Amino acid sequence: MFELLASGIANIVQFKYLIPLAIGSLIGVVGGALPGITITMTVIVVLPFTFGLEPLQGLAAMIGVYVGGETGGLITSCLLGIPGKPSAVATTFDGFPMAKKGEPGRALWLGIWASIFGGLLGAVVLVGATGPLAKMALEFGPWEYFSLFVLALSMVAGLVEASLVKGLVAGAIGLVITVLGNDPVMGKPRLTFGIEFLEGGVPFLPVLIGVFAFAQLMSEVERMGGGRDAFAAVDRAVNLAVSHFKVIGEILARPILLLWSSFIGLVIGVLPAIGGSAANMLAYDQAKKFSKHPEKFGTGIPEGIIASESSNNANVAGSLVTIMAFGIPGDAVTAVMLGALTIHGIQSGPLFILQNPVLAYGMFAAYIVAHALVLIILWIGVRWMLRIVTVPKAALFPVVLVLCVIGAYALNNTMDNIYVLLISGLFGYGMVKFGFPLAPFILGVILGDQIEINLVRAIMTDDNPWLFLTRPISGGLLIASVLSVALAVWQHRRQQRKGVAPAQDDVDF
Amino acid sequence: MKLSRDGIGGLVVFAGSLVLIWMTLGLKDNPLVPIGPGFYPRIVIGICAVLGFAMFVNDWHDQRKAGPAPAKAPRDGPSLNYTLVGLMFAVFAVYAVALPFLGFRIATFAYVAATNALLAPPTEPKHWVRVAILALATAFLTHLLFENYLSVLLPRGRWTGL
Repeated sequence: MFELLASGIANIVQFKYLIPLAIGSLIGVVGGALPGITITMTVIVVLPFTFGLEPLQGLAAMIGVYVGGETGGLITSCLLGIPGKPSAVATTFDGFPMAKKGEPGRALWLGIWASIFGGLLGAVVLVGATGPLAKMALEFGPWEYFSLFVLALSMVAGLVEASLVKGLVAGAIGLVITVLGNDPVMGKPRLTFGIEFLEGGVPFLPVLIGVFAFAQLMSEVERMGGGRDAFAAVDRAVNLAVSHFKVIGEILARPILLLWSSFIGLVIGVLPAIGGSAANMLAYDQAKKFSKHPEKFGTGIPEGIIASESSNNANVAGSLVTIMAFGIPGDAVTAVMLGALTIHGIQSGPLFILQNPVLAYGMFAAYIVAHALVLIILWIGVRWMLRIVTVPKAALFPVVLVLCVIGAYALNNTMDNIYVLLISGLFGYGMVKFGFPLAPFILGVILGDQIEINLVRAIMTDDNPWLFLTRPISGGLLIASVLSVALAVWQHRRQQRKGVAPAQDDVDF
Repeated sequence: MKLSRDGIGGLVVFAGSLVLIWMTLGLKDNPLVPIGPGFYPRIVIGICAVLGFAMFVNDWHDQRKAGPAPAKAPRDGPSLNYTLVGLMFAVFAVYAVALPFLGFRIATFAYVAATNALLAPPTEPKHWVRVAILALATAFLTHLLFENYLSVLLPRGRWTGL
């Protein structure tokens, strides 16, 4: 394993991989720092650029975006009090007060160094656990895969805070999208409405791009026009000088906080589609609960920044574990990566590491090296970041949408994908307006085909339906699915009894 | 009967699912395989229908329990600009339709200019120059980068040949 990792690092530091990784990291930092542009949006923008690259070059660029984005999000959180992305919300609670107290450099660099430490702790698990988990998954038959995918979907639907039923409906709609097109056994057209293009099924990447790009950009557009410029009064020449030894010492003096927050981030990353937005809030909440002085949280103390930032970067490693070991995207960013793998003809899932060790260990190496690159980028460029993030959205949004069009069109050079993009965009925006979460929908679209194929395969192997329950792993996974939904129902009821209104915010997807 | 957006959403999902289930009834099973092409879609769409109906009933029940709706409280912050959203979608739809006829460069130039002008309406001549520069740069730089350096083909115009 260490030999493969060392050769992966030797591979990734070659110019042909290092340049896309560095560019991806830079774009990620900027995208993460731009309020209103999430990492998902940034990785969607980068996607078309990866089509003409080698698989590892493209994936390295995406990993760079992911790591850079998670770190970059803290810039505006600390300096402007506006989170650059949902997974930096908790950073705002203490980062901004610390900056307002006259220590913007300390707030910023506490966050950056905590991100780096959290991310590297995540790397230990990513490298150490992905292979054994994939080996375990190799023992799975179609029953187990079917149950695993059902568990992933039920967990996502259940973890959506706004409404359990809406989460389940969104997941079911995603599954329905995948039944359009020829059936996987005999290739017979079904529910194609006479449209020839639909016979091949609905391509998931244009759907994913359309849903996220339009849902997010249009939600920003509806607030535009007539409002005051949020950046009008920004002091772009803020002094960020700080002693790095002192900042690193402050973080390392709190090892339990760092380890526990990174662990939370990792676990949440491994769970499908929950993402960094939940990780940073949960880590912050835990840090506050275990603190000797919880009343100081929110006043600008380092613990709040360390907890939030270490957890959201460790979350990236967790998401990568899930996609590399099981082929299940941990969040929207890894869902786009899954699409990129498919475009290059690479099958994700447990066989991925065995069949593509160079690529897999190249990805691990890219993840580790990306942290160093992000650190260098921020070291050199953090003073200019406030100028960059204040770019007008009126100029940014049309360019982003043009890149989305290229991303959809270039999948197989057909205009139909652009029409799918537009329809998905309308649909995604409609879902947001009706309060449906996007996470279960997208997971349904991604996993639908696999659920059907494994269900059919299982029944064609043995038509005894009880095998789904009597095979130990499959049965265990199905019981876990039921338990996750039951737990969600219990939590919703408890919240209702307490009179707490559920949050309407979507998870990271 | 008063419904909120949840009830309406549930009803739409339920009705749509019923239509799709009806469509799957026309799918004939194949004697060679134990399960036909309609087997899985019926399960999934059936679940969708049940959940949509549950959402509708849930909302109907909640609305009845809540009684008459109180007067709407004023929204915090600026009002939402749905007209702008509608226009953005409309311009994008025109762009999608125009792409195969005008080609990537011309259609993208027009789209970026229109969208930029829509989001930040130019009031002075120098603003129009900024719109034109952004549109030109986006259309031609993306074309140059993707076609020449990344080997990604972009739509050609049937009318323009570009």
